[in-house]
Amino acid sequence: MALPVNENPSLLDSLRVQRRVLGALFLREALTRYGRHNIGFLWLFVEPMIFTLGVTALWTATKTVHGSGVPIVAFALTGYSSVLLWRNMPGRCIGAMLSNVSLLYHRNIKVLDIFVARLMLEFGGATISFFVLSLVFISIGWVDPPEDILEVAGGWLIIAWFGSALAIWLGAMSHENELVDKIWHPFSYLLFPLSGAAFMVDALPHAAQSVILYIPIVHGVEMVREGYFGARARAHFDLSYVLPFCMVLSVLAMLEVRKLAARVVPE
Amino acid sequence: MIRLNDVKKVYPTRFGDRMVLDGISFDLAKGERLGILGRNGAGKSTMVRLISGAERPTSGTVERHMSVSWPLAFGGAFQAFLTGRDNIRFISRIYSQDFHRNLAFVEEFSELGQYLGEPVRTYSSGMRARLAFALSMIIEFDCFLIDEIAAVGDARFHDRCNFELFEKRGDRAMVIISHDPGHIRDHCSRWAILNNGKLTEFNDFDVAYSAYKEMIGIADRSIAAADESFLDSVRNRLHLLEFSYRKAVADDRFRALVIEAEFIRSRAGWTRAQADWAAAERSYATALSMYPFERSYWSVLGHTIKEQGDLAGAEICYRTAAALGQPTQDVAVHLEFVVEQQGLDPQNYPLRAFSRTTLPKQVPGKPDLELLSYVFWGSSSIDDIDCLSLLRGKSSLDEVAQTMVLDERFLRQYDKAFNLELDELTDSASEQGDRDQRLDFILAVFFTDLSGPVRESLRPKLGRSFDVLREIIERDILSGWELTRAAIDSVRNEQSRG
Repeated sequence: MALPVNENPSLLDSLRVQRRVLGALFLREALTRYGRHNIGFLWLFVEPMIFTLGVTALWTATKTVHGSGVPIVAFALTGYSSVLLWRNMPGRCIGAMLSNVSLLYHRNIKVLDIFVARLMLEFGGATISFFVLSLVFISIGWVDPPEDILEVAGGWLIIAWFGSALAIWLGAMSHENELVDKIWHPFSYLLFPLSGAAFMVDALPHAAQSVILYIPIVHGVEMVREGYFGARARAHFDLSYVLPFCMVLSVLAMLEVRKLAARVVPE
Repeated sequence: MIRLNDVKKVYPTRFGDRMVLDGISFDLAKGERLGILGRNGAGKSTMVRLISGAERPTSGTVERHMSVSWPLAFGGAFQAFLTGRDNIRFISRIYSQDFHRNLAFVEEFSELGQYLGEPVRTYSSGMRARLAFALSMIIEFDCFLIDEIAAVGDARFHDRCNFELFEKRGDRAMVIISHDPGHIRDHCSRWAILNNGKLTEFNDFDVAYSAYKEMIGIADRSIAAADESFLDSVRNRLHLLEFSYRKAVADDRFRALVIEAEFIRSRAGWTRAQADWAAAERSYATALSMYPFERSYWSVLGHTIKEQGDLAGAEICYRTAAALGQPTQDVAVHLEFVVEQQGLDPQNYPLRAFSRTTLPKQVPGKPDLELLSYVFWGSSSIDDIDCLSLLRGKSSLDEVAQTMVLDERFLRQYDKAFNLELDELTDSASEQGDRDQRLDFILAVFFTDLSGPVRESLRPKLGRSFDVLREIIERDILSGWELTRAAIDSVRNEQSRG
């Protein structure tokens, strides 16, 4: 019995295929990255957890000044988790096509799928890590439960959206331009201290505040903190800036993917 | 049905755009099999990628109304860090197939056993090929794309692949690319040649194949010559021996001739017809005339000559094979056999095997005799009797050259080189082709390790065989050839006395 060809698939059929492809790619990525040895899949979130714990310990030990009444452990948890979220996504997508280009021989796999599968893995890992660490810290009393979980989730999703759109844009560009990889590393290092992970906007001088708020990640981080700490955080963010920003970035990313898909040559 | 409409593919390169496919159109209906012939780099693989959908055309459209496989036996889609089993799982998921059924099939077909639990990067290339082919058979496509499947695995595995593909899936459409014309003839119902970005279709294999041979330039046997880049690169005789094999098998024309020869030889194997053996001999000989220092086909040429009863001719070929570096154990039995059949004791006529020494001490083969005969006797055709006695009796190029110098044929050649007025001589223009590759071989063997410009400046001075002799003597490049030099000196002394 030959493989059936559906000439006029319904949207539902297409979605089913899409889900199947992404599922298969996701598992393939996860297996490739974490393997079946020692704790295997658990590395997905243990790795970011170790990062966050380390930074939390460091900031606590050095009593980092961040300019608010928020306890340092909670501050580090929300700050560094968000850094992991937006910073690892482009890192995983840059050069992703080079090693996976031969997957395009499977008709249902498209360029975008390869990026999306990696982003799902990154998002999943960072989110579980953030979630588990929050639960642990809350249960031992170092951190209070978030005041507004939905707002935390909203801020978190904004950071993820920005990270994903940036990742796909850079990932698609990097296939034909190796400069992208070279520039992203220093750029991400410089962006880290400016991303709002290590300070509260409110603590900055007024002039600096308006400048720093041009960086979209800052809005997401501030929103997460407001959701976590409520009024104590005195957060500054503007959804009418950050959402259109992400939208435009996403469109750019999709255009770049389209361009790449028309030109890519499997080996 | 697959339909290509005016498909063009342009690759941007640093030297400007390169048009690989320039308006390809054809239909392929269910069950039809299209075989594509074309030289290296003609764009066959690009076309297959476009049909598969992995790559998009620059303009034109590719319509697929049936499921199309990835290029068969293609191993690139493996994730090398995953195990064979995980790769099977991935493919099963992508195509929504039952993993356990597929695993059972791949285990049975690929015979990889325990290795399926190991990462694919630890596999040998043969194991990868087996896994790749088995994976390709998991999914029941309507159309299979087959790019050089002949290269996969051993003969038994090859048979099983053919059975799976052409017997069990005989009703499917296929697009087959191969360097092996026999393969395409046997398995296709339509044929096409891809050349300069255009596809020309044929309904008859023989017509297609002769057009192909004409295109790659082996239809006219007299002009067969080695690849120019090869001739430009060789700088000494060891180069000739080492690179002839690699260059020859990468040369479409050589490969086509050898495949043709191989095919006729296998037919001769059961018809036992003299005409077939003779035809096979001609094809091998033509191939070897392109790359005379290609060692591996000399013994096969010997077999075809032996089958026609010419034992001396076969002996020449076997001795040449060994001299050029074919392992002695491959040649020794055959040589002993033909020597015995001539009523001689093999003990007295030992095999002389290639050894890596200085040029004058290297063991001569027939192509060397032809070069030396050209230089010292003025003719590159050397008869079998001379040839055999030299190969049997002389163990080095120096000894051969010495013998030739002491022969009376040398005196005439020497006269021409030094004693006659140049304008008394007429050019032997009979063998003037585009490029006389004999001259390249002479440059490589005698005028060793010269830089490109020096070689080029030398070339016009070596127009005739005695010009070569004069340059060799005047430039004193026979310094290591002690026997030859002594012989030449004695001839000179006699000349000056006489």
